[in-house]
Amino acid sequence: MKMLLSISWRNIWRHPARSGVLMGAIIAGIWAGILVSALTNGWIQQRFNNLIQEEITHAQVHHPEFLTEREALMYVDDAHEIFSFLDGDERVKAYAGRTLSDGMIQSPLTSSGVQIRGVDPDRERNTTTFHENVVDGEYLDSDIRNPILLGEKLTEKLNVDIGNRVVLTFQDMNNELTSASFNISGIFRTASTPYDERNVFVKAEDLQELLGDDIYHEVAIMLYDENLVDGVTEDLNESFDHIVAESWYELSPELRYITDMGGNLIVYIMGVIMLALAFGILNTMLMAIFERMKELGMLLAIGMSKLRVFLMIMLESVILTLSGAVVGLILTYFTVNYLGDKGIDLRSMGGESMAQFGFDAIVYPVAFMNDYITTIILVVVTALLAAIYPAIKALRLKPGEVVRE
Amino acid sequence: MAIITTHNLSKVYNPETVPVHALRDVNLEFEEGEFTTVRGPSGSGKTTLLNMIGGLDTPSDGYVEVDGTRITGMKDRELIDFRLNHIGFVFQAYNLIPVFTAYENVSFIMLLQKWDKQKMKERAEELLTAVGLKGKFDSRPKQLSGGEQQRVAVARALASRPKFILADEPTANLDTDSAMNLLDMMEKMNKEENVTFIFSTHDQRVIDRARRVITMVDGAIHKDEKKYPPLKGG
Repeated sequence: MKMLLSISWRNIWRHPARSGVLMGAIIAGIWAGILVSALTNGWIQQRFNNLIQEEITHAQVHHPEFLTEREALMYVDDAHEIFSFLDGDERVKAYAGRTLSDGMIQSPLTSSGVQIRGVDPDRERNTTTFHENVVDGEYLDSDIRNPILLGEKLTEKLNVDIGNRVVLTFQDMNNELTSASFNISGIFRTASTPYDERNVFVKAEDLQELLGDDIYHEVAIMLYDENLVDGVTEDLNESFDHIVAESWYELSPELRYITDMGGNLIVYIMGVIMLALAFGILNTMLMAIFERMKELGMLLAIGMSKLRVFLMIMLESVILTLSGAVVGLILTYFTVNYLGDKGIDLRSMGGESMAQFGFDAIVYPVAFMNDYITTIILVVVTALLAAIYPAIKALRLKPGEVVRE
Repeated sequence: MAIITTHNLSKVYNPETVPVHALRDVNLEFEEGEFTTVRGPSGSGKTTLLNMIGGLDTPSDGYVEVDGTRITGMKDRELIDFRLNHIGFVFQAYNLIPVFTAYENVSFIMLLQKWDKQKMKERAEELLTAVGLKGKFDSRPKQLSGGEQQRVAVARALASRPKFILADEPTANLDTDSAMNLLDMMEKMNKEENVTFIFSTHDQRVIDRARRVITMVDGAIHKDEKKYPPLKGG
């Protein structure tokens, strides 16, 4: 094998320019492929973190019909018993009850439909990172009466600012319309402008007072280990009646689809790139075989077995391709690390529009070890497949004819 | 006892379309230690005969025996193994591995035979010294003259300690001095180490040195002259 490795390595460098061009193509292909994948991974991971860390959390508890009907009467039964249950569960890092209602928000200028999210500021702060999205003013722990937190987009639409009053109108527990004025204490901005336009945050106690009861429609649960979520939801569903506890991927199947797709993205991207590179490898190996017909014939004539000749050609292809791949992977590793730290600001390239879909305009590429390993496997498989035809061609040589030519 | 025997050896190319009779009922015996030349005009069947003896081509009829073993009809893998261990080849165009040094070209065949590393080194150096290339062990083929490359090819052919060496037009690409030096060297190997050489050539310089000259015409043996008996065995 050592002999085959030695001869294969030297054969590659018979034509440094030709091998160099192919290696350059492999380096560029790997660099571009992993970077595109890392960019998408970064987007997906940021989107995932935004949704999980800021809003959905790992699991939620609702009335079984709340998510479809969204009526005030469909609150979580025995919410305080659930809170006690969660307090005693070592898997649970934090939880927060939320009182929710759909209604209208009015400013002196205009009105808009919104989802009103009543939260316990202290618990919410421990459970999610939403408070970090406040870009102006204060979070709900302000001393002012009936504080309300509005999205930046909504403040623009309503033409209001910190300190202004707005009126919320919604149905109470008796299905009667009720209204109250709230004082804008802060403005938030998330990665999703539609979310900023449709959601307002108030204190749960203020909303409960207006609804007419101390009720919660949602319990958001954050775990120490995301992988334990199925066990926690199972335990909750078994322990309590008239509630449904669901994991984040049940609550947001599209998020799961996106993360699953992200996991396989490297295979699709590198698959396409490797398919293109396979023709380059095939061409290079065929040229190498055609110009060495006589030499290969001589090797067969003097007693080199066909298996060894076959292995030699396969090794040449793999070594040539892997050499480029290693350089490409190192270059990519440093590029992804650098950009993962600094981020890629896509605002100047229309990246702001990504916020319409809930994606950040500043992306921090992420490449996983699995991406690098998958790439190496794809490179080796491509090199082997591309070399099979040239290798078979070499095996069909008739040494008696070739050495005489 | 003959080390090579051909029995009614025939070869027809393109039998279905335009048949070309490259060999016609060739019956020959070669003794150990011979220094034999197969001569004849182009297309007379010299190279075809050597290819048949070397197991590089299969006859249309008849067969070849080497040392009592019938090589005609052997499977590909057996034949390659047989060539590796019994036959040395010297080609007109040297056919060295260009990415290997002279030393590596010679030791390559011993690597295939899985020689002990130290013995392989000693043998390769001994052979390269014997063919007059001491000091050029590390030279690559393109750094050597045509004559020197052919010497490396001879050393390579001898490395595996073959029963005999088949040399197809070994001097065709060499100038007179190089050709004479090469022939001196091969004649010395033949006399001192009893190595059997069979040449195909129409180079008069080679024919003049041979002790047996087989003349071929149109694929058949026209004349088989023994100038004087081989040094040993014949």
